[in-house]
Amino acid sequence: MNILILRWLALAFVLCTLMFLLSGCFFPGGGYGYDDGGGIGAAYYEPPGFDYGGWGHGYQVAPFRGGDHRPTSRGGRASARAYRSAPTSHSMPSIPSHSRSGGLRSR
Amino acid sequence: MAGIKCIHCNFVETLEKQGITFDGKTGGIPISRSFKHKGHNPFLRQGLLALLLGVVCAMPVMAAQIQLPAIIEPASQEHHVGKLIFVELVTPDLAAAKKFYAGLFGWTFRDIQDGGTKYAEAFLDGRPVAGLIHKNVPASEHRQPAWLSFFAVGDVDAAKKVALQNGAKMLSEPHSIPDRGREAVFADPQGAVFAVLASSNGDPPDVLAAPGEWIWISLITGDPETNAAFYQTLFDYEVFELPASEGAQHLLLASDNYARASVNTLPANRPNAHPHWLNYVCVEDTVKMTAKVVALGGRVLVEPRIDRHGGKVAVVADPFGAPFGLLEWPDTESKEVPK
Repeated sequence: MNILILRWLALAFVLCTLMFLLSGCFFPGGGYGYDDGGGIGAAYYEPPGFDYGGWGHGYQVAPFRGGDHRPTSRGGRASARAYRSAPTSHSMPSIPSHSRSGGLRSR
Repeated sequence: MAGIKCIHCNFVETLEKQGITFDGKTGGIPISRSFKHKGHNPFLRQGLLALLLGVVCAMPVMAAQIQLPAIIEPASQEHHVGKLIFVELVTPDLAAAKKFYAGLFGWTFRDIQDGGTKYAEAFLDGRPVAGLIHKNVPASEHRQPAWLSFFAVGDVDAAKKVALQNGAKMLSEPHSIPDRGREAVFADPQGAVFAVLASSNGDPPDVLAAPGEWIWISLITGDPETNAAFYQTLFDYEVFELPASEGAQHLLLASDNYARASVNTLPANRPNAHPHWLNYVCVEDTVKMTAKVVALGGRVLVEPRIDRHGGKVAVVADPFGAPFGLLEWPDTESKEVPK
């Protein structure tokens, strides 16, 4: 093989390796075990040990059903909140109730 | 026209341009080991070519833009800012993950591979429900797979600006994916990871999820109030306070007059727990599905329990540890009351 081609290939290999390594330096979010999947989608790992213990009585995560009245908060602070509370005239929202076919889902 | 070849770089030049007078006796290219064409610069020429070759070689690695399907077909023309519109799982064993979720929810898959990236698009009844990405975990890193939640936005770059101004950390810069849309990934001020997506085909319509589809999402965090304020600024949510036990705070985030997510305080005395979003799949029977999870190699993290809507919820993990919730949405007649 021509010696010149060999030299170019060697240079290209070095440059390619350097660019690959440099690109690794610019992937942000390493502390989260995150990378961008090489430009598509997203790929991240969580730190180990999801700890789901301690969901005691009263620990609830689901939405309300439609028609449920808006409850009064007992555990939160009453004033000086960091967020804007929904107007009291707004009823408690639920998730969508209509199925894809247009009607209410029935079982 | 006669020519001459540079012995250093194979550059062929006409004799006239090199100032060489062809005497007509040799009848061809003059043989001279010392000929060097004018302007010869071997390092510049070889360097440029090597750089070009290097860029060409590196491009597939640095910008693997494979084709991903839209999250909704046909295009919906609907936009619901703040709605959970897609989820992606990163897993170290794509084949095993596909087998687990196919067995659990009846999902089917379409494999997409480009270069070193393996991606599987999950479908339920022909509708995209999730994306699964293969990614190895180095043995030295103690990480576990997780589902990443994508919230609808109209403008990813504008969302980035607002998120960063309000204490979020950028994990993946806004980038466009052909047919899918434009997306970016952040960690909120408490550290919970989430993504935003401006879908090219619009957002899925606001309909009740069918069994096997994502129905709900909750944020479990150390500071629900601050987090709610952050997401309210980002997605213009309405925030509703919910009853909670002493010392805890439960909030509900809504947009378009629909509940979109709940925000819950991390349970006390759980030093290993960290803020995160948890996605729930709609199921018809939470108890039966948790048993199925175990039979397929997963495990139960929170046993089925009645929640405020009158149906049971549970939290489970797939065989590689990625957590997700199961939530049944019963008819009003069968609503149970938490004890």
